Amino acid sequence: MKNRSAHRSDGATRRDLLRVGTLSALSLSLGDWFGLRAAAPTPRPGKAKSCILIWLDGGPSHLETFDLKPDAPSEVRGPFRPIATNVTGVRLCELMPNLARVADKLALVRSVTSPLGEHAIANSYLLTGYKPTPVLDYPSFGAVVSQQRGGKPTLPAYVAVPTYKPTAGSGFLGAAHQPFAVDSDPARPDFRVRDLDFYPGVQFGRMKRRRAFLDQLDRFQRTAEEASVDPGFEQAYRLITSPQAKQAFDLSREKPEVRARYGPRTVGQSCLLARRLVERGVSFVSVHNPDWDTHNNLLLNLKEGYAGAKVGVGLIPSLDLALSALLTDLSERGLLDETLVVVMGEFGRTPKLNTSAGRDHWPRVFSVVLAGGGVRGGQVIGASDRIGESPTDRPVTPSDLARTIYTLLGVDPSRELHTPDGRPVPINQDGKLIEELLA
Amino acid sequence: MNLSGLLVAVVGFSSGTVPHFDSEILPVLTRAGCNTGACHGAALGRGGFRLSLLGGDPAADHEAIVYELEGRRINFVHPEESLLLAKPTGELAHKGGLRIEPGSDSAQRLVQWIAAGAPRGQLRKLIHFEVQPEARVIEKVGSTVPLRAMARFDHGKIEDVTPWTVFTASDPSAIEIDDRDTATIRRRGQHVVLARFLDRIVPIRLTVPLTETPVDLSREPRSNFIDDEIYRTLEVLRVPVSPRADDVAFLRRVRLDLTGRLPSPEEVETFLDERSPSKRARLIDRLLASEEFVEYWTYRYAQWLRLRTLPAEAEATWAFHGWIRQQVQQRTGVDRLARTLLTAVGDSHREGPANFARLAADARGQAELVGSVFLGVRFQCANCHNHPLDRWTQDDYHGLAAVFARLERGRTVRVGARGAVTNPRTGEPALPRIPGSEYLQADRDQRKHFADWLTARDNPFFARAMVNRLWKAMFGRGLVEPEDDLRDTNPATHPALLNRLAADFVEHGYDIQHTLRLIARSETYGRAATTTPANATDDRFYSHAYRRSLPPEVLADALADVTDVADRYGDLPLGTRAVALVDPRTPAPALDILGRCGREIGCDAASRGGGLAAKLHQLNGELINRKVADPNGRLHRWIRAGKSNDDIIESFYRLALSRRPTDAERKHWRTQLDGATAASRVELLEDFLWALLNSSDFLMNH
Repeated sequence: MKNRSAHRSDGATRRDLLRVGTLSALSLSLGDWFGLRAAAPTPRPGKAKSCILIWLDGGPSHLETFDLKPDAPSEVRGPFRPIATNVTGVRLCELMPNLARVADKLALVRSVTSPLGEHAIANSYLLTGYKPTPVLDYPSFGAVVSQQRGGKPTLPAYVAVPTYKPTAGSGFLGAAHQPFAVDSDPARPDFRVRDLDFYPGVQFGRMKRRRAFLDQLDRFQRTAEEASVDPGFEQAYRLITSPQAKQAFDLSREKPEVRARYGPRTVGQSCLLARRLVERGVSFVSVHNPDWDTHNNLLLNLKEGYAGAKVGVGLIPSLDLALSALLTDLSERGLLDETLVVVMGEFGRTPKLNTSAGRDHWPRVFSVVLAGGGVRGGQVIGASDRIGESPTDRPVTPSDLARTIYTLLGVDPSRELHTPDGRPVPINQDGKLIEELLA
Repeated sequence: MNLSGLLVAVVGFSSGTVPHFDSEILPVLTRAGCNTGACHGAALGRGGFRLSLLGGDPAADHEAIVYELEGRRINFVHPEESLLLAKPTGELAHKGGLRIEPGSDSAQRLVQWIAAGAPRGQLRKLIHFEVQPEARVIEKVGSTVPLRAMARFDHGKIEDVTPWTVFTASDPSAIEIDDRDTATIRRRGQHVVLARFLDRIVPIRLTVPLTETPVDLSREPRSNFIDDEIYRTLEVLRVPVSPRADDVAFLRRVRLDLTGRLPSPEEVETFLDERSPSKRARLIDRLLASEEFVEYWTYRYAQWLRLRTLPAEAEATWAFHGWIRQQVQQRTGVDRLARTLLTAVGDSHREGPANFARLAADARGQAELVGSVFLGVRFQCANCHNHPLDRWTQDDYHGLAAVFARLERGRTVRVGARGAVTNPRTGEPALPRIPGSEYLQADRDQRKHFADWLTARDNPFFARAMVNRLWKAMFGRGLVEPEDDLRDTNPATHPALLNRLAADFVEHGYDIQHTLRLIARSETYGRAATTTPANATDDRFYSHAYRRSLPPEVLADALADVTDVADRYGDLPLGTRAVALVDPRTPAPALDILGRCGREIGCDAASRGGGLAAKLHQLNGELINRKVADPNGRLHRWIRAGKSNDDIIESFYRLALSRRPTDAERKHWRTQLDGATAASRVELLEDFLWALLNSSDFLMNH
């Protein structure tokens, strides 16, 4: 353990030396190198303290959300029309009237492209920036941020509301950086994080004693090589014994009008909880929003929510309320500049509607939305073609996206992580920073 | 047949003949990456040009290249100006960039073929494909190894096909492969390069020992071929083994693995007192013959077979569960078990095995279920396109689904008169097919056909998938991981061992007890979980036993046993064990938090647990707290009966950890408890028991 941290602490210097070395090997003089450096905008270290990732699980249709094609043939166009927003020339789906009013905060990347069209592996690519391989289980963003921020915060550094996919886990970084899953629906009136309050009869003093007993027992049992304390235990203990931690999860402390603004459904109340958590210093919150795998009936799933709904309560209207409320709330509290908000799923959907009035998996082009945390809002980056089939301009890979997210969060993407057997793995391998995104 | 000896006689592609489309032109396109899923191999093709994924359908590819767009892709007059060449060589704008160097062998081959009229040519079959080396141990990081590939077709000629073979390192940061097909090894360890040519995939194993110090295991005791194979790999990798586990550790481990229960204190005493050198073997036999084995392995079978309740049809589940239990009890070979499940018909509320067909919603779902459960294969990808990482085609997938197409899955399962599965590739009803093998006659129940093929002695999947599962049950890790993902591109850590276990399993009538006994008796299984600095990081070569969490149901039962406080599951009688729950949806919040498997998907893929929520529950939830404080539990009964502190502490050590406290431990608890008031004594003892049940030696199998 000690060796590993020593490894990292001098990493930056050596890397710089290496970089010069590589350049001279490519027969560039040092003068050229400085020239190049001056020409390129110097990426400033990111200033975002936290990140809220709204994960649209299953793969949201880009053609029904952020990249509509009103002029395409009807088999491509789909059921919804675009509407204007508060940014000239940027249009969103008609089911997003609230987001349309805060579009100046959004950066839409409409040219994300990936070759992976199966849920699990695509998930993994988008959430880690690495294409999955059988030999290495890469950590997801939240786990890396948790590891890089270090320290022993009372609240877990990475919280999943209400749950997460295994691909959003900590990979080779191990149990210490697994997300803490709330595992309970914030939209329920009796929402509480299970087992956070003291068990009746076991208040702080007794809990402390139990902990001492357990430490002693483990010391007796421990063999030489397993000297480390169970990090899961540490975290759980800190949570149970901290009143502040309990308050962070207590949605009943929010004013009713604030709760209402986010909408009554799970994604909305999850976003509200996410805001409470980043406000209290949690580094990374993922909001899991399932059911975007719309192979059939776009109208029902994306708009209505249930057959014959008068007011749509489907996926898009729910997201519209949740995301617009989150951005407004963060902004009113002065938190938006330090909170990066990312909205994405694992891929887009096929340009042509299928025979079930749905769309199938389509990774070749899809959209990702970013806001806050040092992102320049009110812009569109990249474009897809006439029918939303391929990127026509500025293709962006999930690896590019990963590098950008890390950079915005002030995590140096070229730093090395270490697997349990000591193998170095850079946080991001060959992504390129999406410069235009930075404010 | 070994082709490498004949290599001297091999000449590469000779310029005088016409290249053969299927076997000489397609590999050029595959090697250049033209037909991958990201390019023209995508379901809709790319830029209007569609090829079959990795050349899976040569006829369609020939058609697309030669005849589509009124033949514009081919220019017979000026072959080098053909789109087929001009695009990948960069003569014309190509979104895929430069794929084939102008003037290279690949480019020349394409020119020659077009000049000769771009014929499909007569069909020739690949008889044998071989790589060199198949495996090599290399001393130093940084060494290079030239890779070669040879093929023989049915016309008899041996060809060096290295330039047309795709070599991929499964860990690109460990092995670099350059344009001239030379591998450079960058890291120590056992690495695999996959060589792909036409429909063949062959692994090449390149190993750099993990340490400098030679390891000689020739004097280590061995029980059977498992130890031979495990030692062989450890010697190559130079990883030393840990010593034998002591008797207590062995008893606890084998008791948990074979019966899902902790040994009782009396059992531990008897076992420690036994002096016979064959006492471990006798213990294994006793456990295999026990009623507890039947209960626990019924639970394991239920997970394997995904047993779960259909809405409002509990009778069906009970019938299925009862039948499974009977098979475990009677030691039915899993070949017979599989055959019965695959061919069962009748009233599913009475005929247990008929429920297997009902676990899938339709024929395609059943093809996937059968693939995962019996073949250890994930067919899903082949629904929409040929499997990119495996040999499975869309025809295989829909052909297997067609085998089950006529099945009616109501309460009464029967083979109906009609029913078909459409193959999206052809738009026609799929023909029933044994995956990767042959089409079936339509005149009889094809399920029997499929069962015949599955349970034939030489079936390459069934026995290997089964022994891999058994191995995982005993070691916490499969020889192939994940356990339901057996494929050429996901090779086993110990391929020879997997094959030997499978052959031995078939030889012994597909009897799981035989294989479990073999594994339990091996020295490898009986190793200590303690490590040495030289083998501490090993997590797949079995130089020591691996610590693993107890399955949620086993942990819940162990907690109930130690505290003598039973859990209530749904409206089942108090005292029902968690492993005996028939329906994985029986209400049991604790099991959910601990991460029990819901069996909708394979339990291997589903496993999560171990997270902070589970930890919170263990520390602060009902799971342990309620049992510790229960006035009718063992602790409070003993306190009321006037048992001494020493006695209580020692008894719980024996129940939970299968050992007595050491002197140091005894002394420690005495200082904690001496002089306590009656009220605080109760609290202190509760806290002791709580700590014991949260300690890692209790929570883990080690």
